Amino acid sequence: MISEDISYEQLKEEIRKLKRKRSSQANLVWKRFTKNKLALIGFIMVSIIIFMAIFAPLIAPYDPYKTSPLERFKPPSKEHLLGTDALGRDVFSRLIYGSRIALEIGILIVLFEGIIGISLGLVSGYFGGIVDKLIMWLVDVLRSFPIVVLALAIAGVLGQGILNVVIALGTVGWTSYARMVRSKVLTIKELEYIEAAKSIGESNLAIIFRHVLPNVLSTAIVMVCLMMPTALIASATLSFLGLGVQPPTADWGSIIAEGRRYLLKAPWISTSAGFFIMFTVLGFNFIGDGLRDALDPTSRRN
Amino acid sequence: MKSYILRRILRALFTAFGVSLVAFMILHLAPGDPVKIMLGPYATEENVQALRARYNLDKPLHIQYLTWIKNIFKGELGTSIRYNRPVGELIKERLGPTLILTGSGLLVAVILGVLFGTLAALKKNSILDYLTTFQTMFWLSIPSFWLAIVLLYIFGLKLRWVPIAGMTSFSSTILPVLTIGLREQAWFARPMRAEMLEVLSQNYIKALKAKGVKYEKIVWKHAFKNALIPIITMIALQLPWIIGGAVVIEVVFSWGGMGSLLVGSVLSRDYQVVQTILLFISIAVVAANLLADILYSFIDPRIRTER
Amino acid sequence: METLLEIKDLKVSFDTEEGKVEALDGVNLKVKEGEFHALIGETGCGKTVTGLTILGLLDNNAKIEKGQVLYKGIDLLKLNEKQLQQQIRGKEIAMIFQDPSTSLDPIFTIKEQMFEALDNNSDLTEEKKLNLIIEELKKVKLPDVEELLEKYPHQLSGGMKQRVMIAMMLSCRPSLLIADEPTTALDVSTQAQFLKVLEDLRKETKITAIYITHNLAVVSEICDTVSVMYAGRIVETASLREIFKNPQHPYTYKLLHSVLGVETKIEELQEIPGSVPRLINPPSGCRFHPRCEEADEICKIEVPRMVEISSEHFVACHKRVIE
Repeated sequence: MISEDISYEQLKEEIRKLKRKRSSQANLVWKRFTKNKLALIGFIMVSIIIFMAIFAPLIAPYDPYKTSPLERFKPPSKEHLLGTDALGRDVFSRLIYGSRIALEIGILIVLFEGIIGISLGLVSGYFGGIVDKLIMWLVDVLRSFPIVVLALAIAGVLGQGILNVVIALGTVGWTSYARMVRSKVLTIKELEYIEAAKSIGESNLAIIFRHVLPNVLSTAIVMVCLMMPTALIASATLSFLGLGVQPPTADWGSIIAEGRRYLLKAPWISTSAGFFIMFTVLGFNFIGDGLRDALDPTSRRN
Repeated sequence: MKSYILRRILRALFTAFGVSLVAFMILHLAPGDPVKIMLGPYATEENVQALRARYNLDKPLHIQYLTWIKNIFKGELGTSIRYNRPVGELIKERLGPTLILTGSGLLVAVILGVLFGTLAALKKNSILDYLTTFQTMFWLSIPSFWLAIVLLYIFGLKLRWVPIAGMTSFSSTILPVLTIGLREQAWFARPMRAEMLEVLSQNYIKALKAKGVKYEKIVWKHAFKNALIPIITMIALQLPWIIGGAVVIEVVFSWGGMGSLLVGSVLSRDYQVVQTILLFISIAVVAANLLADILYSFIDPRIRTER
Repeated sequence: METLLEIKDLKVSFDTEEGKVEALDGVNLKVKEGEFHALIGETGCGKTVTGLTILGLLDNNAKIEKGQVLYKGIDLLKLNEKQLQQQIRGKEIAMIFQDPSTSLDPIFTIKEQMFEALDNNSDLTEEKKLNLIIEELKKVKLPDVEELLEKYPHQLSGGMKQRVMIAMMLSCRPSLLIADEPTTALDVSTQAQFLKVLEDLRKETKITAIYITHNLAVVSEICDTVSVMYAGRIVETASLREIFKNPQHPYTYKLLHSVLGVETKIEELQEIPGSVPRLINPPSGCRFHPRCEEADEICKIEVPRMVEISSEHFVACHKRVIE
């Protein structure tokens, strides 16, 4: 316990010191992460997709929306790396543009569910009591639904469109964040400098924003990497089922759905689109796995 | 143990209540008048009024909810606008195929997952272990609908080993079940590996060795059984994911189950059917979790012998 | 008396995330038939590692660098896993562990687990095995044995579990028992009870034991010979009487005086300055030198050898040996 006769300034210094100790732990985690080869590969894979999304107009050999009736169902060749689709559009170009939509939706979903989940997790963990019980009940309830199924129903009622997909998946998917943040807050609450901050009379809100949130944020960043695969696959599933992004927008999920109709004639449409999804999700999974190991090295001791 | 089970039942009831609220509220998320959306833009005012009265949409929300619940308990699940048939009848038809698909898929997934996880733990840091880690991440990075399409293309269209759609014969179940099993085993392989390693590092494993028990016996009688107990809970926890995957797989394989009914109903705004199926699936998940908890308490002597 | 177990120049290291840990660095130990040999020292000095090495129970990240563990003339380090399991563990050498609450498999009954210990004695009939088990459990003074057999580990107290462990291990009639701090996790009255059980067993069975502990009171109760370990090495071995009356190694001296015994006066109680060194980068020479008041240059450079300074009294200290 901190004795009472030290001054406010000393106490602040104590708090800073204790915080520094924690940040050196963060360094150790970072070191472990960078040593993980698979995580590095994942990092490169995701970088490629991000690069592709940003520079799509430069990389894509054709206009992804330009239809050419004479070029329909051309198999992969030098002119069309991944062939053409039913309207004669270049599949490779569409897939490159698709990375924009995929990342856009993925990031929006993760942000949306992140904001809901982190706030509710913070409130739940910090205040406890009936609020905590209520939020955890809500978590239990939402977790009883398959994410895709509930999001499908919500998106179905809200109507088609990117924004509705984000809303549907966001309202359903925040529970993992809330749980993780809540348990993190519960441990942080017991730390010395929170006690100290309370003893010098900082308000709850100030403590949450100045001391708890920064600590939770590192966990949240890890969560983002862990949740990205779910967000990507779930949004692709909704598009595939015809509820998300609408044609002719170049979206991986709907390209798979379109290609499915011509599976025998032009199998390259569906298959190559799936590879793009797999590549991206695998990249995020590698990163997430590396982060998880770095944070909890006991999970793969010796 | 009684108090443990009682607590679990109570919790399941609370969750079930919440789940029914969510399923009920779905309809009211619709922008504008749900009845008009259901009936389409050319509906006569007369029809709109009739439907509104039938669903009690003119009454306050809590009355609507209570009536809805009451009717469900009476077995009156409403009428499908799309099929113009009672929802109960539709679900009854679709339940069997869905249970077969999800049940066998789950079974395959659990068996494969437990097997891979155990072997990976026993051969820790071997090629097999790394392959297991990699394959689990690989399968979980593939959308199940795409996996279904690829398998369909290879085995159905190209090799023509199995029918490409429907549920006419045993061979038509192979691909859908395989799709679920291959992908979802990844959910069990890693936890099983972790549990197995955890148990193997326990003191009692050392003590067993110290008294001269055979390695095979230590692994299969002690470590495996101890590691399997938490997996029971895992199965129930992963059930929503597996059901979610099965819904889409039903669509790809034109499997006449609840999943394809749900998707069709969502797209045609057949809300009565959507609500009922949502409720049905989520209650099944809640029940499965409760069942797992109770099963757990019977299997684990630490809870069983508790008063 | 014959030597039952002899450890010669044993070196064991561990690979950890922070680096290589030299857990044992040249351990020499002789255990004679029929004696209770205490292995004492502070936490982390390598006592448990020594015990585990004898039975080949070290974790995968451990590496035996060199040395021999001779049991009845056989080098145990040369045996493979199968040979150890079939010929040594349980039958010849048994071990009980520090924490009885985790030493039993939680999902099997005591009966089931007692029976397993007799797996290697397949010549006994089931009935004979059961009788043997009941007899063993009665020997360790457990009440209501028949009822106890049907119970699960979590239904027993720590003391009872530890007695079950002893009975289980002794039912295979080993010649050597390694007891790794068996009373540390027990409360004081249970401890006394447990030691009484051990004492009686010893009279009945003439068993040899290596008793690993940091509790000197326990040592003085039941042991004949004491080896003192420090930072992966044995620094002194002598009879119980010698060690207590005439400790030679500065560490032994301090260890004895750091404990508040009945006869120790408060003024005599000394604290050992410094702490047990981390074995990733252990001190050079005599590993105790940074904490030793008598240390000089030679102690920092050269590792002291074990030398017999009087009959059956060995010590490894530059300041005690005149060469």
